[in-house]
Formats: sequence, C-alpha cells, structure tokens
Amino acid sequence: MKTGFRVFLGAFIALGLSWCGFVLGPVLQLGTQGQTNVLNSSEIYPNQRPGNATLGLQVYRAYGCAACHTTQVGQDGVLCDVVLTSAGANPTAVNNLISSLKLTGLSKDEADAVSGRISAAGGKTETHIIPVGADISRHWGLRHSVAEDFLWDNPVQLGTIRVGPDLANEGLRHDESWELAHLYNPRSNVQNSIMPSYKSLFITGNTPSEDAKNLVAYLLSLRADVSLHDAPFTTAAAPAAAPQNAASQK
Amino acid sequence: MSDDLKTSLQTDAGQKGPTAPTWIFVLTLLGLFGAGFYFDRHSGWFDSQVYAPYQSSDELEAYQPKSGAAALFAEGKKQYGMICAACHGDDGLGKPGQAPPLAGSEWVNAASFKRVEEIPQLGLTGSVHVSGQDWNLSMAPMGVALSDSDLAAVLTYIRGSWGNKASPVSDTDIKAMRAAVAGHAPIGGESGLNAIKE
Repeated sequence: MKTGFRVFLGAFIALGLSWCGFVLGPVLQLGTQGQTNVLNSSEIYPNQRPGNATLGLQVYRAYGCAACHTTQVGQDGVLCDVVLTSAGANPTAVNNLISSLKLTGLSKDEADAVSGRISAAGGKTETHIIPVGADISRHWGLRHSVAEDFLWDNPVQLGTIRVGPDLANEGLRHDESWELAHLYNPRSNVQNSIMPSYKSLFITGNTPSEDAKNLVAYLLSLRADVSLHDAPFTTAAAPAAAPQNAASQK
Repeated sequence: MSDDLKTSLQTDAGQKGPTAPTWIFVLTLLGLFGAGFYFDRHSGWFDSQVYAPYQSSDELEAYQPKSGAAALFAEGKKQYGMICAACHGDDGLGKPGQAPPLAGSEWVNAASFKRVEEIPQLGLTGSVHVSGQDWNLSMAPMGVALSDSDLAAVLTYIRGSWGNKASPVSDTDIKAMRAAVAGHAPIGGESGLNAIKE
C-alpha cells in the first residue's frame, strides 16, 4: 500500500508540474490580454474579425491549412534610422555634420548619440524604428507577431511548418479574386506552387461555396499592420513619390 | 519475502551506501548559476508585453517612438488627459451641460486650424452649434498657461483622434497665433468664431 501511495504522489507531482508549466503559467502571463491602443493613436487593436472570417477560421482548421502554413512572423531585432526633420537656424553646419555621420541601420544607443549631436547643432530629428529579420525581409510582415494578433481566434492556429509561405499578413498581400483563384488552382497565379488544388471548395465550375468565401474572408482578415506597445515600429508615412519607387523596383 | 532478501535488506540498512562524487554537485550548481543568468536575460520577467528580441520592459520602452510627429501626439494625449478630459471626456465625446464633443466636431475638423486654435488660448463664451446641437456654455482660456509646443500637441491630438483626421498644428503656428491675439477678449460664440479669418 505504501508503494501505491508513493506512485500516486510521484504521478501527481509530475503531472501537476507540467500542468503548471503548460497551462497555469501561460494563463497567468497572457490570460488577461485584451484589446490595446495602436501606438500614438486612439484606435483599438485588434478588432473582432468579421463574422464570415470567424467562420472561415473553422474552415482553415477543418482543411488543415495550419499543417503547411504558419501565421506567425518572427523578428531578429530592431534597427534605427535617424531622419532630419528640420535643419534649424544653421543648416550648413547641420548638413556638414550629417554628411559625416551614419544615419541608417543604427542601434538604439548609436541613434540616440547621433540625434543628440544633430540637435546640439540646432537640427531636429526623428528616430525611425525598423524591425529586421528573415521573415521581415521575406515581406511576410511589418513586425513580429504578438499575442494580441490572435485575441479573437479560437483555436489559435499558429502552425509550425512552413511548406507554404507564412499567412500572418495574407490580407495585406492579395485580394479576394486572387485568393479564390489560388484555392481553385494554385498554379494559376503562383508558378510552381506545390499546394494541392481545393476544387472541392467550389460548387460547379468555379462558383465558390460558402466555405470558400468564409475561408477567403478569414485569409483577408489576417493583417497585423499596426504598431503596438509590445511591437513598436515606425509606420512608413506614404509620401506621394512612394508608389513610383515601388513600381520601379518591380 | 525470502530469508535471503530479508538479510540483504537488513545489512544494506545498516551500511552507508555509495556517495555521489563531489564534482556532480559542483557541476549542478554551475549549471543552475548559468541558467539563472540565461533566465535573467531572456525571460523578460514573464511580462506579457515583452517578446524577443526585447529583453525587458525597460528596453522595450526605449524603442517606443518618441520623436517628431509621434512624440507630439503622445505629449498631446498626456496634456489632454490632464486638462481637457475633465469636461470633454477621454473619448472626446463631451458631456451634456459641460462641454460639446470634439470627436466629429465641424470646428475641430475644419481644414484650417485658425479658429479652433484660438479657443483654448482666449476661451469661448456664448452659443455654438456643434454636431447638430446648440451649446450655450462658457469655456475659460484653459490653454493659456501651456507652452507653445504643448498647446500645439494638444490641438494635434484633438485633430487626429477619435476618428478626426485633420492636419497637425506646429508650435510655430501657435507662436504666431499668440502674438496676433495677445490681449483679445474671449471669443463670443459662433459669430465670434466665424469672424476669425481662416
């Protein structure tokens, strides 16, 4: 009998500890997470997904999309760019100073030092915060994913394997007709795509079923494009010349 | 239990078992020490806001955008909360009998800020039509004690919050306005506001 009690106690402690680690700890850490303010704005993030997108999450789950697609973006670090906003009373001195300094790709401390030197010369600067990392350079996201991004999802479908691209910001990249065409025949708009065709989501010919429409609504609702307290970055202001630059890069 | 096992248990109980070598303890302690360092550096102290690559909430705080337009906006939010929010509300919706709404107000959202910027500097007395309603109240010159940049920040915040999407106000604008209206009486209601050249 003594042994039986010991076995029970041992099993209880072992299971209890893993319960604390896998359930209690995360709940204590993230369980109270709620909507937050977008940085420097009174907008609230995240908003509830539209109803059809919430249904689409269940389609995403049922078709096992998470087996080949992740919806989480990582980030290795942050670099700072110092941008001159006003040259001040002595533009020549500021311009001379700036031409001798490195202004992009700085660490936070370097950026502070550089903007300190420029403001001592009379100029005014802004520090732009640029997330960097493999996922960011693949254009899969503007910043790393945080818990708020998944606040309304049940279940959260992070995914672990990237057979296909990450979808955390799919809504920023494509539109509805692209998504439907891709589901119907992936090769129609992505050359050499190894994704299977999901023609079963379409009724006759290429008429999408409700499931297909909901799934696409969910994919288009995936857009983590705002700066948050726990994932700060400088939102690129859209100057008039930007679209031309983007076009010439393509 | 067989007699053999009994005797062997009895003899075992009376003897000292083999002791673990000292180096195991030293290595374990070193391992725990290293783990402590790693934990200190990478856990973010279980803060729900801290994700890699940030290591602590202090480091995260240092990366919050604090210069230029963003800083002006953040400062404006702070000043608004201390001064304006008592009557106009944190949500900018105003309070019946106390203050008209700022969110969606046609005066706040006007393309030119020449009229709205004088209200906190001079005060406003008399009837004003805001968002489809007449407000006959009196506002003291609440912004007169603020610095040029703080007043500019408050106005920028008001003109860019709660769905308002009007242009920002800079401290040089405020400086020019203050020089122009020095010594003026409080603005007399809607007619007084309309008399200000946009």
